[in-house]
Amino acid sequence: MTDARHPLTWWIWSITLAIGIARGNNPLLAIAVVGCAYLVVRKFRTDAPWSRSFESGLKLGLWILIIRTTFGVLIGTPIPGTTLFRLPILPVPEWMAGIRIGGAVTQERLFSTAREGVILAAIIICFAAASSLTSPHRLLRVLPFSIYQFGLALVIATSLVPQFVTSISRIRDAQYLRGQKLSFKKILIPLLEESLVRSLDLAAAMDSRGYGFTRVRSRYRAISWNPGDTIICLISAFSLLSPTLILISVATPFILIKRRVVVPAS
Amino acid sequence: MITFAAVSLIYPNSTKTVLENLSLTIAEGEFVLVIGPTGSGKSSLLRLINGLVPHHTGGILAGDISVDGISTQSVKPGGLAHLIGIVGQNPINGFVTDTVEEELAFGMESLNVSPDVMRKRVEEILDLLSLAPLRNRSLATLSGGEQQRVAIGSALVMHPKVLVLDEPTSALDPIAAEEVLSILHRLVHDLGLTVVVAEHKLERVIQFADRIVHIDGLGNTRVGTPAQIMSDSDIAPPIVHLARALGLEDVGLTVRDMRRMSEKIREGKYDKKEVPSIASGDLVIDINGVSLSFDNTSVLQNINIKIWAGEVVALMGRNGAGKSSLLKTIVGLHKCSTGSVELLGDNPLTISGKQRRETIGFIPQEPSDLLYGQGVLMECNQADEDNEIDNGETFELLNELVPGISPHTHPRDLSEGQRLALALSVVLSAKPKILILDEPTRGLDYQAKNQLISTLLRYARVLGRTVILATHDVELVAELATRVIFLADGDCVADGKTLDVLLSSPAFAPQVAKVMSPQPWLTVKDVINALEVTR
Repeated sequence: MTDARHPLTWWIWSITLAIGIARGNNPLLAIAVVGCAYLVVRKFRTDAPWSRSFESGLKLGLWILIIRTTFGVLIGTPIPGTTLFRLPILPVPEWMAGIRIGGAVTQERLFSTAREGVILAAIIICFAAASSLTSPHRLLRVLPFSIYQFGLALVIATSLVPQFVTSISRIRDAQYLRGQKLSFKKILIPLLEESLVRSLDLAAAMDSRGYGFTRVRSRYRAISWNPGDTIICLISAFSLLSPTLILISVATPFILIKRRVVVPAS
Repeated sequence: MITFAAVSLIYPNSTKTVLENLSLTIAEGEFVLVIGPTGSGKSSLLRLINGLVPHHTGGILAGDISVDGISTQSVKPGGLAHLIGIVGQNPINGFVTDTVEEELAFGMESLNVSPDVMRKRVEEILDLLSLAPLRNRSLATLSGGEQQRVAIGSALVMHPKVLVLDEPTSALDPIAAEEVLSILHRLVHDLGLTVVVAEHKLERVIQFADRIVHIDGLGNTRVGTPAQIMSDSDIAPPIVHLARALGLEDVGLTVRDMRRMSEKIREGKYDKKEVPSIASGDLVIDINGVSLSFDNTSVLQNINIKIWAGEVVALMGRNGAGKSSLLKTIVGLHKCSTGSVELLGDNPLTISGKQRRETIGFIPQEPSDLLYGQGVLMECNQADEDNEIDNGETFELLNELVPGISPHTHPRDLSEGQRLALALSVVLSAKPKILILDEPTRGLDYQAKNQLISTLLRYARVLGRTVILATHDVELVAELATRVIFLADGDCVADGKTLDVLLSSPAFAPQVAKVMSPQPWLTVKDVINALEVTR
């Protein structure tokens, strides 16, 4: 793990990608960046629980795209142009004047909402890529003390997510074996109880291990900042000049980073 | 080292006093064992030592507790971190970092210990607890015993004077438990560490204890040497019950003492009692050449087992030997890579709903996974409705198992034993032909365990149903099972009558068998029966 990138590097890298996508406002560019980011994630992620966040981000992004496009087409003011098909217009009360539900769906309208959806989804996927590549705990250790408390709360929340997933599948299995039809409630209640117990345990453990007792924390193994980190960050910063440059910045990790040392999990 | 001065504790919104006027002084280098029924306040007593109670949980505390001269009232738990190491019931819930090494360092980082001191201490602990090969491993991939060792290590690395452990062996197989306890024993003797342990499985830990604190759940406590407490305690390991049953003057606390005292009985000649083979009923489960693998790692290899009606089968083996995987394959959660499983001729993967409930009942490791009702009665009524039986039948069943549960209690507020009983009655209300339990005795006290044993025996013997349980609890197996299947690395290495399998392996032999070897007796009842028949 020693030649892994500094966690901040990955976050700077992904944030500049997100900025580039937003500024470029070009769905093709966004898709290209996401594709390239996927290759980077596939090559550099470990087999840790959070390394799957990229897939979750991808799913979330797709959902956002679908929902946004549907709503964008259904609701809102029409953009004139080629009409693709017509939906029945839903009558709305008078006070909602100015909003139309249904009606003609034009090619222009569809394209513009889909394009906004793609860009939004791509930005989310960029953040998912960073969280796939960095351990939340490692990130926490490089944060300054002033935001440490805040960061810690976030890390605990995020590290609970993979545990949530295991708990959900365990509870779902148990309910299935009870011969029950699955419902949200039947899974949610045991899950919430378990998470509550778990968080209390964690808080008690941290408290009794002296967490937060001194303002200054020492570092067992300092996370070093290497020249490679500087280069990635510089290229990322440079790419802010023009959106198309992010295509270079997204690929820099490939040029620079040696293959990660795999820790045997025997 | 630790002084309790007239300590009383009560939680808000509760009428029950947890502790009443407890005065106790624990000297440096003492190994103190805390015993009591579940929910009696053992964990509260342990958490009082570093001030987690009441600083973290609330509660009204009278009297004073001081550790090494520092009163817990004046300092928060963090202020005692250098003095007291505390290991909770589920170590994995308390892990803050990703890898073993980082976890060991976490506490020292919080206390701002300089990096070179940290490096040295981490190495020390890695050696002391034989954790060196695991140093870069992710915590989530460790086995139960390894997790427990890491938790102990991360407490010890702070060089505490007191180590407090809450049920350190409840999730461990007998060998891993022995390992953890002998480490504690060594620390007490080599470093003069003061250790306070709460544990239900007395047979594992009593031989190490210098003193015992017995809490009865009504606020009363008794403190004394193991011999004093064991002379009349209702909570006692099988070995003490044996001494009482044989009418010995002293209670022996170790197998060695008891062997010395029972020499005469052992040397007698006894009629050999034939254990009737139960494998005469119908074929219920047919496991035929089952192999299972995840991500190219083989978990089960070519398992062939036939289980008949009326059998009580115990699945044993190390943590990670494939017990749970086999159970999950039987109930139809895993699809086997090769081979087949048949439950009464049906494929477990295809049955669902009512047919599933009537064929096979499953109690998972966490019985609360099954429960989602807001009250005991609601839960029971749901089961009545599902199984189309008379209203109130499930609750009646629960009342038979554990009398006196208020119907309006929330399942979360039940004790471990009561919660298991609730899950059990919900599952049994469908009258399944097969009942499967995964680690049922985790966290159960002796009383709850005996209740479980008698319920399951009645279910198997009277109704002729089949019970399969995966467990580490040798004493439970000795009392309950008719057949033991031993798994190692996904292979079935032994399959036979309980008596034969348990006696053939010293590590997995119950206490009574160790004392009475070479006589083939597993439980106190076996001994008494044999003596009576011969007399």
